[in-house]
Amino acid sequence: MSFIHLHTASAFSLKYGTTQPSDLVARASQLEAPALALTDRDGLLGAIRFTKACLDYGIAPIIGVNLAINLESTRGAPQKKLPRLTILAGSDGGWRNLVRLMSSLNLSTGAPVLTLDFLERFSEYTDNLYVLHGLDAPIAPAIAAHRADSALDTFNKTRQFFKAHAIECVSHLAKGDGPGSMTHAGRSLIFARDHDIDAVITNAVRMRGPEDGPVADILDCARQLVPLHPRHIGRTNAEAYLKSTPAMQALADEIARAGGERNARALLSTTRAWAEQTLLSPTRDIGLGSIHLPEPHVVGVENAQQMRSLLRQRSEAKINWRYSGAQAVKSARERLDDELATVATLGYESYFLTVADIADMARERGIRVSARGSGAGSLITHLLGISGVDPLAHGLLMERFCSPLRRALPDIDIDVESHRRLEIYDLVFKKYGDSRWDIPGNQSRCATVASFDTYRTRQSIRDAGAALGLPAAEISLIARSPYGLREKNVKTPLAAMVIAMARRLEGLPRHISMHPCAVVLSDGGLLDRVPLQLNASGYPMVEFDKDDVEDIGLLKLDILGVRMQSSISYAISEISRVHNEEIDIDAIALDDPHTYELIQSTKTIGIFQIESPGQRELVGKLEPRTFTDLIIDISLFRPGPVKSDMISPFLKSRHGWSARKIIHPDLYEILRDTEGVVVFHEQVISIIATMTHCSLAHADEMRRALGNREGQQRVCDWFYPAAAKHGYSLDVIKEVWEVLRAFASFGFCKAHAAAFALPTYQSAWLKTHYPAAFLAGLLTHDPGMYPKRLILDEVRQMGISIAPLDVNSSEDTYRVEIADDGTQSIRIALSTINGISSEEITNIIAARPYKDLADFYYRSGASQPIIESMILTGAFDRLHAITKGGAINRRDLLLHFSDLVRGPTMPSALRSQMTLGFDAPAIEASGLADLDSSEKVAHEVKRLGMDITHHMLEFYSHFLNSIGAIKSSDLLSVRSASTVLVAGVRVSIQTPPIRSGNRVIFLTLDDGHGCSDATFFSDVASEYLSTIYTSELVLLRGITRRTGARGISIRATGIWDLRSAYEKWNTQRSTLAI
Amino acid sequence: MTSAHVRAQIAQPGDVVSDVTSGPIEFTFGGKRFRIHAVLSRWCEAGGWWNRISDGNFHPDDQARAVWKVEAAPIGTLQTFELERDDLTGAWIIKAI
Repeated sequence: MSFIHLHTASAFSLKYGTTQPSDLVARASQLEAPALALTDRDGLLGAIRFTKACLDYGIAPIIGVNLAINLESTRGAPQKKLPRLTILAGSDGGWRNLVRLMSSLNLSTGAPVLTLDFLERFSEYTDNLYVLHGLDAPIAPAIAAHRADSALDTFNKTRQFFKAHAIECVSHLAKGDGPGSMTHAGRSLIFARDHDIDAVITNAVRMRGPEDGPVADILDCARQLVPLHPRHIGRTNAEAYLKSTPAMQALADEIARAGGERNARALLSTTRAWAEQTLLSPTRDIGLGSIHLPEPHVVGVENAQQMRSLLRQRSEAKINWRYSGAQAVKSARERLDDELATVATLGYESYFLTVADIADMARERGIRVSARGSGAGSLITHLLGISGVDPLAHGLLMERFCSPLRRALPDIDIDVESHRRLEIYDLVFKKYGDSRWDIPGNQSRCATVASFDTYRTRQSIRDAGAALGLPAAEISLIARSPYGLREKNVKTPLAAMVIAMARRLEGLPRHISMHPCAVVLSDGGLLDRVPLQLNASGYPMVEFDKDDVEDIGLLKLDILGVRMQSSISYAISEISRVHNEEIDIDAIALDDPHTYELIQSTKTIGIFQIESPGQRELVGKLEPRTFTDLIIDISLFRPGPVKSDMISPFLKSRHGWSARKIIHPDLYEILRDTEGVVVFHEQVISIIATMTHCSLAHADEMRRALGNREGQQRVCDWFYPAAAKHGYSLDVIKEVWEVLRAFASFGFCKAHAAAFALPTYQSAWLKTHYPAAFLAGLLTHDPGMYPKRLILDEVRQMGISIAPLDVNSSEDTYRVEIADDGTQSIRIALSTINGISSEEITNIIAARPYKDLADFYYRSGASQPIIESMILTGAFDRLHAITKGGAINRRDLLLHFSDLVRGPTMPSALRSQMTLGFDAPAIEASGLADLDSSEKVAHEVKRLGMDITHHMLEFYSHFLNSIGAIKSSDLLSVRSASTVLVAGVRVSIQTPPIRSGNRVIFLTLDDGHGCSDATFFSDVASEYLSTIYTSELVLLRGITRRTGARGISIRATGIWDLRSAYEKWNTQRSTLAI
Repeated sequence: MTSAHVRAQIAQPGDVVSDVTSGPIEFTFGGKRFRIHAVLSRWCEAGGWWNRISDGNFHPDDQARAVWKVEAAPIGTLQTFELERDDLTGAWIIKAI
């Protein structure tokens, strides 16, 4: 009879086990084991992938956990290593108890350590759980010491809990008579027999085979952060591996003899019996392939039928609001009926209603919500207000999102204002969650999701290197060298070994963290199916990752924080505050010509998705005129289309340089908007459905199959005859097939692009009509790729002035101010000051107004360095009437401040009421010269992180004029292919993918008149690499190239540091003058 | 016996006779042939591979080894005797058989 291993640690015993669960299962299958247990340390992290692997290999899963137990009654962390027990889930319901036990342990005690007190309180969860007392058990030392009486006392402490207990006889053939030795295994057997306790044999496995020993050693060291030394590693030999049946039977025989029995029959049959009691069903117990959505009562109805009507009712109610005109309403109704039928077939009503509920809750709090991803393709999500894009107007398909042919749960992702994302988490947890973790049997319907960080090259080199004692500098050198160059830096056998060992660590999980945006929503049985722990942010988190939760049918909602949504929201609130206008940004028409003019002008800095240099070039070429054009633009600007050159044919046809090529008239409608080029997944689906007359759902299945080679063959075999049957000629079919095959994998989900295009348009609209409010939003929430100083420059470009930091006017955010003559300005925020705390900001604002610096010093609670920064950046200029050539200046104020600091300090209780009996020293004009403008800018850059009063380049304007450098705003008037000199502050460097595969560097410079974009091809880039990456202010030479009516880019031929160029010029000039 | 008295010797081919299942049976040590009478204990050892990185060989040498602690005696030194005591006089007679 084949042996069944009951004690096996996988790599999900983090930094302990050496083998992925699936590899263990594969090995067990090779050994012809009918079942295998997974008993990872401290958690159930690998349980779902283990179960899936078992299902694949036809092996029955047994799942348990190996937990530390603290039997001491004293509180606080004990110094020595805690003993451990292995707890197996019994068949029929044990899994539920095990996950509940783990969740309660994690959430009520904060650590996966059992105590008697905990077992007492949660004893109902210990039913149907089986305990193994093995090598690390509390009784093991007593048995080693021949103290059977003390072992029995210890054993009896936990005896009243759990369904059954067994002594685990383990022989790793270790030397001596301690745990792991044959002698100890024999004595454990004798102890079990003497006290009438079950005895089983396991091999306490932590490796797939003996060859994994060194990996285990490295993991032991990485876990404890120590170098390799026999004292630090857990093994003395390599026996703790998945042994074959004959090997285990031989061990059993020896253990039985050492325990005074004639043969191993009893030991092996008890082991077998324990395995049979703990076999789990992947579907019934673990719940693979099931679906658990919130119950009807959660959305306020009683049963599934009512839920169906509720969804219909809520969707239909909005049709007339979203659509007008008989024809539009009619087609919307038809589409809705189809979608509702699909949803009813799949039983996903509560999914849609729950997500809609969350979106509603957020909106009620005034938090902006928008859908992203394929979910925008559904009319239901549009009508429920989850997605703002009209799927009918843009040809978006429900089938791309959710179809009866696909059992996988569809994903709805929502974008929310980034700075309020956790508010939504709180709302969700308040409504669907539960916090009474001290009460057994509590219910919760939501949790965050885990994500497993695995060993990647760098981390594995660092851990292997540290364990092997490679010098830190050498570790860094090897870890940082790119692939291929690494071998060059390997000079010693030790370094070679580090790399060899690092390779064996790669892919092993090393850390569990929270998935950045996923939340699962389920029914009241959630806690019976998944183990939770408290993550670093304080939210309950499922110990499974996003794929695992999907496998057990938990609805996952991605709630992503998007800074642009925060910026838009801020702009709207500023518009309301300053102009008294309430803007419904989600209701603006999508055809505003002024907005498209702005986009076409390529002045798109700050606009969502289209602000990068590459995108500015593309919008310059594409000249978007409609919302559809924006969708196309966003879809085209990705590595796939760039690599496969979908852009050129599109642009050529678009501008009428070449004829639009549409293979067959039947496909005209599908490909019209994209000039005959296949850009979207939706187009692939429609083409397949049109030519074969199959359903859209089936066409989407075919599209998915196109993703891999064998799938392509399958689709090809089906497509040719199916299309021929509907009268298409072989030539047409061949041509269409080539297009499908080539572009299917590069295509983009149009619904996703459309969902993205909406904030793109909204932000462009705001920039067009309310630039001050919009830019204030950008400065406050910093959503884009550019530094704030560039946005500030954009403010100047748009003719809006910048109001300096002011102690009585600046708020915590950037505010729009309108002067009496109607000129607009943006006031620098207090939060801009480097090192200021939010508490300081709150206090400064609360104690306003201030009558002078002394008043501010005594009452604001701001720290000295902050006040100095404020003085030097002009925050007190207005208060003390500091003007150019005035009586006193910032230097005087600084001297005055140091007098204040040196002067008698006031008791803090008095500070708030500013005593009358005490006078601050008077401010005297010292006669020192004021800061000059370059010093002012230097202070701004140092203390505020940007140049405000003057552009950094202004100080070089004389130099730049005399060498004939061109302002970025004048570039458009330069002829194509002329050599130019431009200067500027480096604002971004990008190395995006390009068609030829060569590395290209895109550099964007800002010179106070706008941006200029330069491209470095590899030959030039290699020569000037250090200047490109290290110089802040540069002078660049290049050749211009027109990219469209409003676009121009520069092919760089040289670049120099501006400061050193200036100095050189200065010395040469003075030399010449002499 | 203290470790100072341990004498070790590398066995030549054929010096150790062993059985696949039960381990060693006979061995030659110090020019004498020994027969194993009892296995006192046996164990396995491995590790310390990190002390043997010198040749740039990327496969760590884990040096797994099995150890048998046995009682053995030189072959031919085991003999059968009869020891006879006269009940009346208490005198002993030793007979080699």
